[in-house]
Amino acid sequence: METKKGTVTSLSSMFPADEAQKASRRVQDTIDERQHQLDQLKAFIDDNISLINLVHKLPHETHHNIMVPFGKAAFFPGRLIHTNEFMVLLGDGYYAERTSKQTAEILKRRGTALETQVESLKAIMQDLKAEASFFEITAQESAEGLVEIREDYVEEGSSEALATGRKKFDSILEVDDRKAAVEDDEYTRIFSRISELEKEEEEAEKANESDEDEQTQNELVRSANQISIDQEIKSSQVETSEVPAVSKEKYRPQRYGSSTGNHPAPNSNMMNKAFEVPEEEKRDQTPLTASNTAFTGSIVEHAHDIGKNLTEQQSGARTSKPVSRFKMQRK
Amino acid sequence: MAALKELQRDLENKANDVNKLQKDIAKNHQVRKKYTIQLGENELVLKELDLLNDDANVYKLIGPVLVKQDLAEANANVRKRIEYISAELKRLDATLQDLEEKQNSKKEAIYKLQQRMQSLQAGKGKA
Repeated sequence: METKKGTVTSLSSMFPADEAQKASRRVQDTIDERQHQLDQLKAFIDDNISLINLVHKLPHETHHNIMVPFGKAAFFPGRLIHTNEFMVLLGDGYYAERTSKQTAEILKRRGTALETQVESLKAIMQDLKAEASFFEITAQESAEGLVEIREDYVEEGSSEALATGRKKFDSILEVDDRKAAVEDDEYTRIFSRISELEKEEEEAEKANESDEDEQTQNELVRSANQISIDQEIKSSQVETSEVPAVSKEKYRPQRYGSSTGNHPAPNSNMMNKAFEVPEEEKRDQTPLTASNTAFTGSIVEHAHDIGKNLTEQQSGARTSKPVSRFKMQRK
Repeated sequence: MAALKELQRDLENKANDVNKLQKDIAKNHQVRKKYTIQLGENELVLKELDLLNDDANVYKLIGPVLVKQDLAEANANVRKRIEYISAELKRLDATLQDLEEKQNSKKEAIYKLQQRMQSLQAGKGKA
């Protein structure tokens, strides 16, 4: 199974350096082309602005003395009259008679159209630049002799399932998935609970000798929470009733282990067990959760012990005043 | 040997076809570019015409002379022109797609031919 894990391909075999460089050069050429277009557009905008200024100024006088172009090289003196009448080319051979003000408006609209064109062109150029830099980097990397390592991702659970046989493959996978989902859910819940409890503990430690009443209240809240969590877990177990018995056993130690952590047991011996077990179990179980390997019996045994204790202790928690965890430790 | 030569001739023909198709595609692109620019211009004209007053004088440059036109008429003309250009663009798109499909099929054929030639040559080398 461990014979072949992945493939190693040098980047230069897939993208030869000179090819990548060629591609980058080509992109660079298109960028230059676009730059040219952009310059042209900018020139148009400048022309447009000066034209607007001129159109604004012309009607200030009733007539202007100008040099009229005649042919390619000749001019002759003339007078520009009707200074407030413009023949504006709208495009495609259409002209309209307009006043100076109206012409300026048309020109302004044209200016905004040009601006939008410039914007889009700039965006395109940015994209192209990104592309060019990508090609350049690729060329550089392949010149440096970088390699690509490709390794297929095989999930632990699914590989185990593969080993057990093709026929069962699908069903096991399905169960695995469901189990993993349930366990993940449980993990997050348990972890959040633990951290919550740790915080409470710290706070309580600060207020070391403080009122017992509050603590009892805390305990009551805790036990109430615990019950609801237990119920939730039970319901989730009902949902996954198809899950093989082994995996069901797996839930128990976690659940009881962590919950006994919350509820200090009356005897300290039991207590220590309860404290140590969940930590160990968490570490041990995380890699195992997705796999189908049978669970070691030892933890299952714990489960029964703790389970019994838990029921006693839960009923005790409600009737008599429980002893808090840190108090237990101090003893 | 004869088979190989025939294959080579076939390959050349196909390569020529592909070249022709590529030229066509390039031409198509150029025409399309022209039409797109015209479409943009016409749309601009239409916008301006819409903004004009009803009594504004509109002229159309025909050859060297400006011919006075009714605004409504000019408007209708521009609209028609836009329609025509859009239709033309659509048609060009269709032909372009067609050309590209042809090109792809030709390229595939060339690839197959090359493979056959290679296998033939390899076989000869062994023999």
